[in-house]
Amino acid sequence: MNENLHILESLKHSSPIIQLIWGLSCLFFIIIAILTFYLKYLRNHLRVNEKIETKYQEIYESYLVTYLYAGNDEEAFSSEQQIIIEKLKKYAADPFKRKIIVSTLLKLRNEISGEMGESIDKLFIKLGLLRYSLAKLRSKKWDVIAIGIRELTQFKIKAVHKIIMNNINHPKREVRKEMQFYLVHLYAFEGLEFLNVLETPLSEWDQIQLLEVLQLNNNTQIADIKPWLKSSNDSVVIFALKIAKVYNQFEAKEVLIELLNHKCEDVRINAISALSHLNIIEAKNILKNNFNDRGHEEQIGFLKMMENVYEASDKTFLMEHINHKSTEIKLLVIEVLKNINFEEFALNEAELKKTLTA
Amino acid sequence: MNVIYKIVLAEDNSVLSLLLKFRLEKEGYKLLIAVDGKQAIELIEEYNPELILTDIMMPFVSGLEVISYVRNKLNLKTPIIVFSSAGQEEIVLKAFDLGATDFMSKPFSPHELVIRVKRLLK
Repeated sequence: MNENLHILESLKHSSPIIQLIWGLSCLFFIIIAILTFYLKYLRNHLRVNEKIETKYQEIYESYLVTYLYAGNDEEAFSSEQQIIIEKLKKYAADPFKRKIIVSTLLKLRNEISGEMGESIDKLFIKLGLLRYSLAKLRSKKWDVIAIGIRELTQFKIKAVHKIIMNNINHPKREVRKEMQFYLVHLYAFEGLEFLNVLETPLSEWDQIQLLEVLQLNNNTQIADIKPWLKSSNDSVVIFALKIAKVYNQFEAKEVLIELLNHKCEDVRINAISALSHLNIIEAKNILKNNFNDRGHEEQIGFLKMMENVYEASDKTFLMEHINHKSTEIKLLVIEVLKNINFEEFALNEAELKKTLTA
Repeated sequence: MNVIYKIVLAEDNSVLSLLLKFRLEKEGYKLLIAVDGKQAIELIEEYNPELILTDIMMPFVSGLEVISYVRNKLNLKTPIIVFSSAGQEEIVLKAFDLGATDFMSKPFSPHELVIRVKRLLK
């Protein structure tokens, strides 16, 4: 006791800096102690929540499986199914339990197709969960809107596409992406109509994902891509060029050729790639005539195209560029020449080697 | 006397496992459920099932490792049906190289699975 008093006494008489340091040390100690207790409480709380979540998840999984096997051909919903619906509806009134119900439905919906998959979609509507998903679309938080759209996509709710289209030019990329996926997942090529009014850029990754979704769809009716090839949004034009390539859109030949003179270099490069894929020989002559005016990437793209559409008459043109300053172009020229005439190439190669080693 | 065929199902999605268990047990099969590849191997060694259903992507031991273990370590010819997801085409080919019998791409129809199981256990 005396010793403690002695410490306090000596602290009182010490310099203000020492007093300040002691004060701050005590303050930090108290803050750390409070935070430690808070973290412990938070961890326990999360563990308890996790346990409750697992418990409810098991209950809902069991209800869901029973519901799926309780159906019959005579009624839309059997009496056993009605009982389960009523029970789940009561649970769904609570936001915490509702979240678990939705995640349970999704957990199975993503894995199964056919009648059972459709039955889960019907259950989603019957439980009134659609109302909550639509309410998410009115949220001010962008992440809530994105989750709402994703839920509608996963449960294949087609009737709300007009509301979803309101987000077409949403400032957040994630929301736009979910909206685009919704349309393409549920409407395939018809869903791509959003490209007509899209003002924001469509990233390379989004384009790849949209193409993948399109390819998963069995609908083979391909939309007219010409309006998108003429879009003022360059990323839309590039995406349409990728569609032209994947779905062999020969019908758009004229528009594709016009794109060789597009103001954006990326568009021109992609147009060359699409024309090359479609083996459109008319494009070759246009590109041959203004080869020197084109950028390096375009020149490379064109020479790659020539590997597929070369003719013996191209030899003069190729010989003009055999000593091009770019090694990549030089190699591509030689490659095409080799294809035209292997023997002649062998001579040229020997000469080239000489010049390179000289 | 009716023989009850044993099927090991290796699937980390609990609700899908429950659904398939319900469906296949209704058809008269005995389902042994594993939540990962490690458990699946243990069940296969213990019960020597007539059929194995396995997901490709699982924690600890993958579906590919399960197939490899069954074919190369245990030297069993038990038919194996693999569940794959979109974009896993390359892995499915690897599964066939390792000795998988059949595959189903997720999302799949449980009715279709029952037809395939019946065909393999005929």
